[in-house]
Amino acid sequence: MGGHEFDRLDGNESICDHIIELTGKTAPKICLLPTASGDPEDQISRFRRSFGSRGCEVTDISLFRLGANPIDVSAHLLEQDAIYVGGGSMLNLVAIWKAHGIHELLEAALDQGILICGQSAGAMTWFEYGITSSSGLPAAATGLGMLEGSLCVHYHQDPQRRTRYMADVGAGMPSGYGADDQSAMLFVDGEMVEAMTFRSGAGIWRVEAEDGKGVETRLELVERFRETPAGQTPGSTVDDFRQLNDWRRRGGMLRGR
Amino acid sequence: MKSGDGDEYAFMGIKRQIVAFGGGGFSMESGNPLLDDFVTGLTGLKKPRVCFLPTASGDADHYIVRYYNAFRDRAEASHISLFRREKGVENIRDHLLSQDLIYVGGGSVISMLGVWRAHGIDEILREAWERGIVLCGLSAGSLCWFDEGLTGYQDQSKRVLGLGFLPYSNMVHFEAGSKRHNVYEEELKAGLRPGYAAADGAALHFVDTEMVQVIASRPEARAYRLDLKGDRAKTTQIATRYLGSPDQIPLVADSSLPWSSSPLAA
Repeated sequence: MGGHEFDRLDGNESICDHIIELTGKTAPKICLLPTASGDPEDQISRFRRSFGSRGCEVTDISLFRLGANPIDVSAHLLEQDAIYVGGGSMLNLVAIWKAHGIHELLEAALDQGILICGQSAGAMTWFEYGITSSSGLPAAATGLGMLEGSLCVHYHQDPQRRTRYMADVGAGMPSGYGADDQSAMLFVDGEMVEAMTFRSGAGIWRVEAEDGKGVETRLELVERFRETPAGQTPGSTVDDFRQLNDWRRRGGMLRGR
Repeated sequence: MKSGDGDEYAFMGIKRQIVAFGGGGFSMESGNPLLDDFVTGLTGLKKPRVCFLPTASGDADHYIVRYYNAFRDRAEASHISLFRREKGVENIRDHLLSQDLIYVGGGSVISMLGVWRAHGIDEILREAWERGIVLCGLSAGSLCWFDEGLTGYQDQSKRVLGLGFLPYSNMVHFEAGSKRHNVYEEELKAGLRPGYAAADGAALHFVDTEMVQVIASRPEARAYRLDLKGDRAKTTQIATRYLGSPDQIPLVADSSLPWSSSPLAA
């Protein structure tokens, strides 16, 4: 996913629905890895609300809190139907996973047929290279290389990234894709089988080198738009806040301080 | 590790100093500033430049806020977030090397070391240490300075390679007689190098690579030396100076230990 938030803004809800559909189950087990942003509670409770309210069995693995909350990471990951990797710092994500050996568990999960999805840093990390702002300005970073080539997320939402990506591909970075927020690609056994958009205007571009420059070709996308139900205001409201607190409580994260 | 092992500033009278807390300071002892007073005191400055590294917590907001609440008035306080670098200080190396004290927070030591290495912080910290910038921290922020640390809360413990500034092993949140104490002794027999364990509220003060004193923010907090004698592990309680009553030094001593009679004046 080129960008996805756990809120009701355009397209974000349809993405959740589609992820569930891909698991082929009505109440799949889905686990969040919020590593790339340092396991923040806000992201975790928003995830829990988004997927929990759709009937999923929601959990998360916070690698920063394993000391206080030891669980068998391997067993837990391998019993999931889907694993969702959150965004944040791609540089930190790859470094932390390698330090804990999570990347090997995720390869095992893929081999086992578990659906792996991710947005932003959590999407780029599967490729050989991505464009990250982990060190400030957008720059190339190495991913895990489970998918060939490169990916640049937030493609038109963060124009500096797009500029950097096109220049880097022109200069020899393996070719790949530029993906807008609320767009996504499905890979099966390493092959891209479907490119899709969940918001009108969100696109994906194939970016390849030509005469030392990056050249874009817009992909044909499957449109998976859905109207926001009438009467529902997207974004932050009092109800929103109450719901989040509710999911936070269910996740055992509200501690008396 | 660098050749010569970094004593290059010694001729200028610069001491390399690390204070490794078993636990404590503003992170764990709100209302008890004794350990934080001690480390800021080591800089010899009224208002030292102090930089907090909250990496091991994933740069948790609430932790950073608590740091500023604790250090805002006593120091020129700053922090570095490695998860949101686009918003932080531009040149991390320059910033860290201009500090008087670098304070490392608790959390996951494995995650922290992974991130530090990805950003080159490990090299910068070595340089800071060699230049005489005081390094300190609790929990993960203690384990990281040693050759090897034994991580974990509760009953589980795992060996983790640290930055290796201090040629010992280390265990934090230590309780003598606990299951983790037993794990430490077993690991020593299995080849772990000798080292130091500190309870919550106790801290190990190293000058260069020598442990010179144990200080404590609670009267009962202790630190221990763990060795291998023949094929048996040996745990020795170390003389401790309670910072709440500096006249009583040292408290408990094993007189065979060289440092028990020579606590440094802070």
